[in-house]
Order: sequence, then C-alpha cells, then structure tokens
Amino acid sequence: MSKFDYNKLIDNDAALQSRSIFWEPEIYQDELKQIFNRCWLFLGHDSQIPEAGDFLRTYMGEDDVIVVRGEDGEVRAFLNACTHRGNKVCHAEWGKTKAFTCSYHGWAYDNMGELAAVPLEEAIYDNLDRSKLGLVPVARVQNYKGMIFGTFAEEGPDLVEYLGDMAYYLDVVLDASPEGMELIGTPFRVEIPGNWKLPVENAIGDGYHVAWAHAGAMRVVGTIGQGRGESVLGIGKDNTGFDDSGQMQVAIPPHTVLSTLDGQSGYALYDNPGPCIEYLEQVRPSVVERLGDVRGNQLLGSETHMGVFPNLQIIQGLNLLRVIHPKGPGAFEVATYSMADKNTPDEVKDIIVKHVGQTFGTAGILEGDDGDFTEAITHSPNGYATRQMKGWLGMAQGRKMDWEGPGEASPGIVNELCQREFYAQWQRTMLAESVNEILPKKLAKKESANG
Amino acid sequence: MAKKQKIAAVGKDTDMETAYRIERFLAAEARVLDEERYDDWLAMLDESIVYKMPIPMNTYRRNRPGKSSICETMIYDENFEKLKQRAAREDTGMVWLNDPATHHIRTVTNIESFCTDEASVYDVRSKFTLLRSRRDKDHISHTGTRKDLLRDTGDGLKLVSRTVFLPERVIVDKNLNMFF
Ligand code: FES
Ligand SMILES: [Fe+2]
Repeated sequence: MSKFDYNKLIDNDAALQSRSIFWEPEIYQDELKQIFNRCWLFLGHDSQIPEAGDFLRTYMGEDDVIVVRGEDGEVRAFLNACTHRGNKVCHAEWGKTKAFTCSYHGWAYDNMGELAAVPLEEAIYDNLDRSKLGLVPVARVQNYKGMIFGTFAEEGPDLVEYLGDMAYYLDVVLDASPEGMELIGTPFRVEIPGNWKLPVENAIGDGYHVAWAHAGAMRVVGTIGQGRGESVLGIGKDNTGFDDSGQMQVAIPPHTVLSTLDGQSGYALYDNPGPCIEYLEQVRPSVVERLGDVRGNQLLGSETHMGVFPNLQIIQGLNLLRVIHPKGPGAFEVATYSMADKNTPDEVKDIIVKHVGQTFGTAGILEGDDGDFTEAITHSPNGYATRQMKGWLGMAQGRKMDWEGPGEASPGIVNELCQREFYAQWQRTMLAESVNEILPKKLAKKESANG
Repeated sequence: MAKKQKIAAVGKDTDMETAYRIERFLAAEARVLDEERYDDWLAMLDESIVYKMPIPMNTYRRNRPGKSSICETMIYDENFEKLKQRAAREDTGMVWLNDPATHHIRTVTNIESFCTDEASVYDVRSKFTLLRSRRDKDHISHTGTRKDLLRDTGDGLKLVSRTVFLPERVIVDKNLNMFF
C-alpha cells in the first residue's frame, strides 16, 4: 500500500495536479512499479531487427533491456544482466550477434537467451544447471503491425486489448500500405533534467505552447503554400488568432490523439513540403480504400499526435516517433526516431529525416525550447512552498464535438483534453491494485466510422 | 603494442603564411559566434557549405549491420539556407531561452592545415571546447573535433564544409542549438 493518496494528488474534476508528482522520489518509485513494470512499453520496430541475431538495446522504465531476434526468428526481450553476478552482457546499442558474452567472467548467452557456455564449466562447477541460468526474459513480448512492445506483467491485458481503439488511429501510420511503416536511422538521444511525465503530455497535447514557446522558430519555419505565413496550424504566430474549426483532441483511454484533420498540415513546418505532399496525394486513394474516408482523407497527412500510454508518442506529419525513458524523478531521456511508410520514395524519406533532425532532433530548433519549462516545473518544488502548488489543465474542459472515429472528442488542438486524460490514466494506474485494473472500465462502444 | 606508425598524413602541410591565416580565420569565427554576430558569421561561409554532425555509433567494433534500418544519423545536416534559418531564429528576439543572454565561449585548438588536390582548398582539422553558460548555474561544456574544408577566395577564406564530431552518445544538455 502506497503512503500517497493518488485520489488527492490528481483532481480530475478541477483538472488540478499536485506538483509533488514531478518531484517526490517515493512517488517515482511507485511509478516504476505500478506503470513501468505493468504497462505495455514500446521496445522497437521490426525494421530495426529484421534478421536472426539482430538486436537493439532500450529501456523499460529504468531497466536496461536487450531486444533480439533469435536464431528461430522470434523476437524476445531480456534484462541486460548476467545471471552470474549481474554485469551487463551487452554494451553495444545495436548490432547482430549469435551470442552475448559477459565481459566479467565470460558467460555466454545465445541470441535466444539461453546460457550457452561457461568458461571452465566442467572443472569448477559441480552444481551448475545452465538451463536454469538463461537471461531473465521480459514476461511478454508482442507485436502490433511491426511495433514491438513488452511488459513485465505475466498476466493482464494482451497488447491488442491494451491498445484497444487506439489501433484505429495507429493504423493510419502502421497500415497505410501492405508494407507498413519503418523507423529510419539511429535515434536522437538527449537527457534532460525534468520529470518524464512532462515531455509526454507536452508532446501529446500541448497545442497551446507551440506558437509562444517556440515563437522564434515559428517565425522562420515554412508553412504550407504560404511562404512564411502568419499562422501555423491554425494558431497565429504570436499567439494571436485562434481557429479550432476542424481540429480536435480525442481521448481513447488510456491513450490520446490530437489532430488537425485537414489531411495536409502535417507538412506545415517543412521548408520543402512539395515532394512530401505530392507523394501523400499519390497514395491517398489507396489509403482511403484500405482505411476508409475518415482516416484516408481527414487523418492521413494531418498533424496528428498519438500518445500511447505511458511513454510513446507517434507524430504523423513531423513523422517522428519518441519514447521518454525516466531517469530518476528529476531526469528523463528522450529517444527520437524518424519514421515513414516503407514505400516512401528515398527523396521524400530524405526530406523527412532532415526535417526531424532540424525540428525535433538533438539540435532541433523546436525541441530545444522546452527544456527550461520541464526543468523548472520539476525542480522548483525543491522548495517546500512551491511543492504545495498545483498545476492546472482546465482548458476547454467540457467542450465536445461530433467525431466519427472512436473516443470522445473536443474541438481544437489548443485544448488540454489529452493532458487531462494522461493524468487521469496516470492516477488509474497508480491506484490499480492489480494489472487487471490498469485499463479504464470499458465504455459503451461507439459505432466507429467505416471500420 | 601498436606498431610504430608514422604520423598519419592527411596531406602536405600548407605554407606557414596560409596556416597562420587559417588559424586567424578560425579564431575570428569563434569570436564572431561568441558575440552573436550571425550575419558576420554567415559571410564567412561559402554558399555551397555542407555542415554536418553525425551521431556517434555505439556498436561493437566488429559490427555487422545486416539489413537493419538503423544507420548513421545526423544531428546537424545543413546547407547554407538552413544555417541562415537557424541564425534568423536567434535574431528574432523571441528565443526565450536566450533571454537573459546565454554566454558561449569557444576555444579552438590543435589546428592542423593541409593542402588538398585543389590548390585553393585546405583541409583543416581542429579540436574545440564550447562552454555554454546561462541562468544561475547552467554551465555545460562540449568538447569535440572538427574537419573543415576552407577555400581561398578573392574575398578571403570561406568555410566550404564542416563535419563536427561530438563523442557523447546521449547528449546531456537541454539542447544543442549552437553553432560549432
Ligand atoms: S557476472 Fe557475468 S560472467 Fe560473471
Ligand atoms: Fe514544445
């Protein structure tokens, strides 16, 4: 039983969040257990490890994890920890191997996690059973259309149930063609002195800060067809003017989506969107055929931010995928990847990869602006009085709009619905007494728009 | 023990006067950037400039990449227009993180200047430390190497290409929005 009352730390009706949730070390320890040890977490993508022996390293919470395709073709994930004394068995970030050999005493594990060789085994051990000393596996690893997820929970919802209706939206990126999406390159990795929740809810829902926090960048980046237009994504460049028509935030608990719904503005920030939009319009008819009118015409090509709880963001338009790894209560690592449909022409992929780097890479002109806020919100509560404060996410609360897709929608991307939903889900997970309680109770299923 | 090697030849050393001019150029460039004089900096660049910073790859020495989509990726991959855009952003007066001003101190050292196949183009290697200091105690220093090509033009030396190598895999800094 936790000593914290998570019912009080988040007040959903008043849309208030206690600032201690970004600061309190013991809350962070609860998060590692309740959230990162139970939820389905993004591990990687098939395109990164297509062949037997291909591996990559990532994190599940703070646990260092190896994700590897074994000789048998199956993808597994293991704690990166030797079962002898606990040294890491792999220090490379990615590669291809038949075995992971511990650098301490030389125990070697095959790429299916079995302990294959122990130096001097016969001579020195009378009691060693190699079959019981394989790498510790991540309890379940499942794949959704190329996306590899893992959970430490032995039971509880399967991946498909966990994603639920979010699959409807994810498919716009993952299933726009039979070949599907791929991740490109090695991720940008940056460690920032802030709490992990802040970059997550910022990316999935904070349309409000874009024009102001990034005002310098907004003045110099391109906007579709308008050269340096006065408004970006419906928001005036100096935070004046606001147009919420035809834009939305939608809650698909435990996940969220923000989208401009115009089928094109994902490329608003590109300097040379021409080839991207040309390709987009070329594939649109086939996507409409695959996914229907709503997804093919309204979602495809829109600036669409999909938040998969807890720490994955898939951003169509900017065409990036980000994972936020916690590093203690006061720091996080962001890993940012470029993504594109596999069929995308190289010329367009090249534009996308460059654009991701120039906007949200390590030296991205937008990415860099947010570090100060995250740091201040996280670390100012070192002060006792500041720690008693609450953050407020009351914008557009109660505003509703009709939307044919799954979930409850609210108008405008300048809205705090997605962020409220994130904290509601955070609270739900922190209160869950078992893994079977991490998902919200099923709402009456809405008839979804053309499947 | 590594075999005794001759110092790797990048090219023939430039003459002393050229080497001196190149050192002066790099020092002036660092000063101009420290002083946030971006227009003056842009004037030191050749308009065909290629400006890159790759992410270091932490793979095993004998990595066999196979068919993985993971491959070398650039933190900076800019042309003249993009550098101009970054400079223009700094000059908007709306980059809140630089107000109060951020202070940069660039130190350039170990400068080596070599001739290339083209008579007026020099291959210049250097090491740098870029100290960034802002707010109360937000001090961060990045150390790396640079591989530049400089061209002698009627209008003085111009930077034609720069590849910056920062050895940190995970950048522990709120951003790398600075010119190296
Ligand atoms: S700790 Fe790995 S072999 Fe001993
Ligand atoms: Fe931002």
